[in-house]
Amino acid sequence: MDKKEEGSRSNDLDRVIENSRRDFLRKITLAGAVTVTGGAAIYSGHRFEKAKHREGYVKVLTEDNRLVEIPVEQMRDFKPDLKMLQSRGREGIPGRKWVMVIDLSKCRNARKCVEACQSAHHLRPYEYHINTLVMQESVNTPAFFMPKPCQHCDNPPCVSVCPVDATFKRQDGVVLIDNERCIGCRFCMAACPYSARIFHWQEPSQHEADSEKEYNVELNVPHKKGTITKCLFSADRLREGMLPYCVSACPNGVFYFGDENEDAVTNGTTKETVRFSELIEKNGGYRLMPELGTQPRVYYLPPKNRIFEFEEGEKREYKEEKA
Amino acid sequence: MRYRAGVILCLMLLPSFAKGQDWVVPEERRGRLSTFPFNDDTRKEGERLYMINCHSCHGDPGKNNYIVLQPSPGDPATEKIQKNSDGEIFHKVSVGRGQMPSFRSVLTTEEIWKVVSYIRSFNRDYVQKVMQVITSSAYPGAVISMKLAYDEAAKLVSVMASATSETGTVPVTGAGVRLLARRYFGLMQVDEEKTTDNNGTALFAIPESLPGDTAGNISFSAQFTDEQVFGSVSKDTILNAGAVTIPVSLTAKRAMWNTVRKAPVWVILAYGLGVLAVWGFIFLVMFRLRDIFTVGTELRERLQTSPGNQEPPKNQQI
Repeated sequence: MDKKEEGSRSNDLDRVIENSRRDFLRKITLAGAVTVTGGAAIYSGHRFEKAKHREGYVKVLTEDNRLVEIPVEQMRDFKPDLKMLQSRGREGIPGRKWVMVIDLSKCRNARKCVEACQSAHHLRPYEYHINTLVMQESVNTPAFFMPKPCQHCDNPPCVSVCPVDATFKRQDGVVLIDNERCIGCRFCMAACPYSARIFHWQEPSQHEADSEKEYNVELNVPHKKGTITKCLFSADRLREGMLPYCVSACPNGVFYFGDENEDAVTNGTTKETVRFSELIEKNGGYRLMPELGTQPRVYYLPPKNRIFEFEEGEKREYKEEKA
Repeated sequence: MRYRAGVILCLMLLPSFAKGQDWVVPEERRGRLSTFPFNDDTRKEGERLYMINCHSCHGDPGKNNYIVLQPSPGDPATEKIQKNSDGEIFHKVSVGRGQMPSFRSVLTTEEIWKVVSYIRSFNRDYVQKVMQVITSSAYPGAVISMKLAYDEAAKLVSVMASATSETGTVPVTGAGVRLLARRYFGLMQVDEEKTTDNNGTALFAIPESLPGDTAGNISFSAQFTDEQVFGSVSKDTILNAGAVTIPVSLTAKRAMWNTVRKAPVWVILAYGLGVLAVWGFIFLVMFRLRDIFTVGTELRERLQTSPGNQEPPKNQQI
């Protein structure tokens, strides 16, 4: 009985020794593998860092389409600062002469131009850069709708009267207002024969959300209380080769916009490009109040051959009635 | 008798009803089919495009909330529009009529088919016919290319279209071609649509006054009008066919509204002289005062120094 017990005990001991050896072998294999893997990882990391350091340059495409390499340490995130926005905003786009044509025979007061403009320039529904007016020349003549943006005159009276050089005309014809300089005297409002300008009597809409943004003179956002704002011909969009907000928003093909130097205007709805001079000549184009000698850059085509009846009110209202 | 009159009246009125409806699509365009089958993806994309481009006039399909116009736009879910063939809808969308603008330059061929796909989703009886062969090309297996050249004497731009295959190069004949000049906001059609002759050439007259850049260069693009047959082949080439245009800055001239440096000469002169005159007068007064002062002091000194001329007593005048 005792012998048996002894035998079994020695057997157990053997098993324990055996187990611990196996354990040891297993552990040492694991440790070895970890060491090798870790070493390899560190080594490859080292090689990668070394390789990265050896290159140390990034390829960058410059504005004039050149591929250049610059050191990584010299890379900076580009964000147009106020100085740059102001200087390019004053200068304008060289070689261009923007012109707008408004076909009154097609306007039926959809007001999409007004909405697009107000949402782009952060305006309230009663603040207009462009508005559609109801016009009637005399009692016997028919009424029609007339979208009226700033006329961007070639002889702008508003710019003449500005005492602080806040409003200015650029080489491409756009008349802008610099809210960084404007003192809110409203001389320009009084001088403008087209009533194109509005004054911020209260804090502009979205002024809290916009407060962190850099002031862009080509978008006139963020606005400032106590300054003037006006239609900008969407100067920021023109820079990107896009049609102004109002022009591309129109559902009825009312607006044409283009470069007079190229003698071409593009319809915002159909995107069709036509000869500017031909369009004006064939349709009897005219400008507003030519007797003042302001020489507007906005041309109108008369409201002839309209294929819809003039109805007071907005298009949206018909829909509501129908629904 | 009354019955007959009624029938005759109805028959007489029929053409006048038809008159408003009649929007004839050219025969060859009617049978045009989509190159891809309509499915949920095309319908979804079509809906998105419809909401942007069509919704403002045609309203929501099936709700009859289109706007009042003459001719009426109509609801796309109704029979008035659904009875059109795919090709007819495609043609009407791309060409337009009256108040309905042409969407040819706004939407691509594929996008218009997607809109058709969306419109068709409101018609339960509709079964789509898909074009069997994607390109029923007149020149199967050939690569179609175009070459543009300018003839300065005749003021003509020639577009030569040719199809190159393993068997050789042959001119593409009878193909409709458009010539477009690149402008800042898009492509402008020059002259009318032309058809290539037996040599595969189409000639376009260039108006003399068409402005080019400062050297008179214009970037032209030639396109086939029938993409279905020839594929969307187009060729861009810069030709010296335009009038030399030297842009003049609108702020170059002296004007009242311009910056200080570019103010009218008379303003600068008048202002400069005015300022000079005012300051001159101020200095004149100051110099005169100084003169009076110096004369006064000199006199006083002379009176004090000369012994014979003593200062008169204060009550001299009395």
